[in-house]
Amino acid sequence: MIQLYNVYKTYNNTPALVDISFIIKKGAFVFVTGPSGAGKSTLLKLLYRWENYDRGQVLVNGTNVGKIKFNRLWKLRRKIGVVFQDYKLLQRKTILENVAFVLEIVGADKKTIRFKAWEALKNVGLSHKKDAYPMELSGGEQQRVAIARALVNNPKILLADEPTGNLDPELASEILHLFEQANNEGTTVVFATHSQIILQEGNHAVITLKQGKIVDTRVVV
Amino acid sequence: MRTLKTTITNIKSNKQLFFASVGTITIALSILGLFLFVYINLNSVLSFWNDQVQLIVYLEDEVSMHEKKKLEKMVSSHSEVESFDFVSREKAWKNFQAMFSEKSAFLKGMGFNPLPASFNLKIKPTPNRLEKIRTLAEQMKQLPGVESVEYGEEWISRFEGFIILMRVFLLALGALLSLGAVLIISNTVKLSISSRKDEIELMLLSGGTPGFIQLPFFLEGILHGLLGAVVSLALMKSIHLYVVNQFQGAIETFGRSMDFQFIPFPLIMTIVMASILVGWLGSFFSLHQFLGVYKKL
Ligand SMILES: Nc1ncnc2c1ncn2[C@@H]1O[C@H](COP(=O)(O)OP(=O)(O)OP(=O)(O)O)[C@@H](O)[C@H]1O
Ligand SMILES: [Mg+2]
Repeated sequence: MIQLYNVYKTYNNTPALVDISFIIKKGAFVFVTGPSGAGKSTLLKLLYRWENYDRGQVLVNGTNVGKIKFNRLWKLRRKIGVVFQDYKLLQRKTILENVAFVLEIVGADKKTIRFKAWEALKNVGLSHKKDAYPMELSGGEQQRVAIARALVNNPKILLADEPTGNLDPELASEILHLFEQANNEGTTVVFATHSQIILQEGNHAVITLKQGKIVDTRVVV
Repeated sequence: MRTLKTTITNIKSNKQLFFASVGTITIALSILGLFLFVYINLNSVLSFWNDQVQLIVYLEDEVSMHEKKKLEKMVSSHSEVESFDFVSREKAWKNFQAMFSEKSAFLKGMGFNPLPASFNLKIKPTPNRLEKIRTLAEQMKQLPGVESVEYGEEWISRFEGFIILMRVFLLALGALLSLGAVLIISNTVKLSISSRKDEIELMLLSGGTPGFIQLPFFLEGILHGLLGAVVSLALMKSIHLYVVNQFQGAIETFGRSMDFQFIPFPLIMTIVMASILVGWLGSFFSLHQFLGVYKKL
């Protein structure tokens, strides 16, 4: 499902990813960890082609991501749900509208939108706040809205960038279970985190980055 | 539907700017329209006169039958002549009397006919008709039995020169104003885009097609052009109605069977289409610039 071969990425001549190679199979659940600045976010951004790479190859679903034309990128991105590290919630919309927004973008009909958006909020325990604006929510609540939004389109691939960074351990493990549930339903999950607790709690493969290099991998047996 | 809603929300959140920009475009178009209005009416005056232009060949009073026949033959066989009338001295006199009927007592009292007989030639309408009339006039002047020739030469050629100048001026003005309108619209749409930057970014990230993302902004630009065109045309129409009401009487004595014309329908459609195109272009430039950043990522 996701294949990287000798991928290099620099920002203004500063290396962010160095010679990265790995394969994530369809239906897998993989953690990406490493200290701040190690390149976790950058790695995820390559997968949905928000950033391009300098060398190597990135294949998602068999497609060479670096070669996709701008006008066709939407096809790739519709397959991928992303929980952004900075959430990217729209401040002018209620949280229900925020979740509904991504359904509107892919052209779902009104009834589906209302039902699915509400259900997604319910799954993260926020349906009672559906008419609140992001500003009126705590950090953890905002994070959960971002998670609901990433899951609402039933993506084939879920990329989560520190999705539990602002949550207390209990809530964090609940969210982890949410991702595992999606994973059980067939979604490939890539989960970036530096929380050791989460890493230990979930018995999944781990890719550890440091200064842009893979320094360790844990494989599940 | 959703797109339209987005467009309207965009406009609402930038209401003042939208009206300022539509207003500017309206004014620009109205200036153009005013000149166009003048041009169209001058043009119709010209074509009216052009239609009236005849080459009048006055015959000498003592022209012989033979000379007259020869002239008639030459005129009727000439390839540039559409039709011709022969006006005898008697008929000319009658026409003259009819035209000034209130003074007929005085005219009757004159007791002799001072008017010459003439051939009135209508020349076929061709682009270089004036030139043709000129050469034909020169030819005819030389012929025996011809006293003089007459046509509104200076008048018409000067007027035509003016019309051509005006046409060039209008085209230049139109191009200039269109360019200005594109810039204004592009600027307004740009602000609209940047006030929705986060939304557009999210749309890009969640798999919105470029068309879906751009459509509301294209609509916004097009709406600028369309509204500007409609408002300015309405303004022009009311000016037209006012002018007709005030001055129609004066015009009638000036040139019969003529009226003040409004911008003809095909031209109205052209103006509306051009405005839409201008609006589209304005949006296009802004979107192109904005999305260019994301294309490079
Ligand atoms: N847009 C950018 N322009 C320039 N440099 C960048 C950009 N994004 C990231 N970097 C740099 O690339 C390196 C990797 O950043 P990245 O965000 O991938 O780290 P991370 O592992 O996600 O860190 P964190 O755990 O703090 O989120 C860092 O040194 C960062 O400064
Ligand atoms: Mg990060």
